[in-house]
Amino acid sequence: MPNNGDFLASSKREGYALALAVAGWAVPGLGHALQRMWGRALTFFLCVGLLVVVGARARGNVFTAAPGDAFDTLGYAADLGTGSFYLLARDMETDGADVSRSGGDYGTRFLATAGVLNLLAALHAYETARGRKA
Amino acid sequence: MTLTHLHGMLLFALIISVAFGFLSRRRPLDRLKYIAWSLFLFLLVGIGIGWAMYPFSR
Repeated sequence: MPNNGDFLASSKREGYALALAVAGWAVPGLGHALQRMWGRALTFFLCVGLLVVVGARARGNVFTAAPGDAFDTLGYAADLGTGSFYLLARDMETDGADVSRSGGDYGTRFLATAGVLNLLAALHAYETARGRKA
Repeated sequence: MTLTHLHGMLLFALIISVAFGFLSRRRPLDRLKYIAWSLFLFLLVGIGIGWAMYPFSR
């Protein structure tokens, strides 16, 4: 049966892992960088960043909190997954979305993928901090 | 920025393959093998689906 010290250490570790996950979500790769996993940190930062920049430059749809249908809400949730890069995408896309061309349509997918990929990376940072993955 | 279907597919496949390789493998050689295999499968499936749709495209 775990004693009180084990319980405290376990909950402290859990809190630390959660903080890393939030950091990783806010700034892609930060959750890994704080664990000194430099290769993974740099890779996630560049991959998520590249997807966001290309997606926004190709005039993909950067969804907002404005009420819309279920797909808009899902798109907004996916875009928010990029953390602070969501603001970058909003800032870069000054001309608005143009999904009448394949480029704009691809851009929308790139932005959503960046969000989901970043959430996956943040989850990985969380699991690593808990000692479940390496 | 103008993105054609081929450019979009190639860029997407490459970025996701690299990210998945770093996410799921630890050793550099394993990562490289995973990235190459994943990229190959992405392109194979993408081009395969493209050709499968060809008869219905006109």
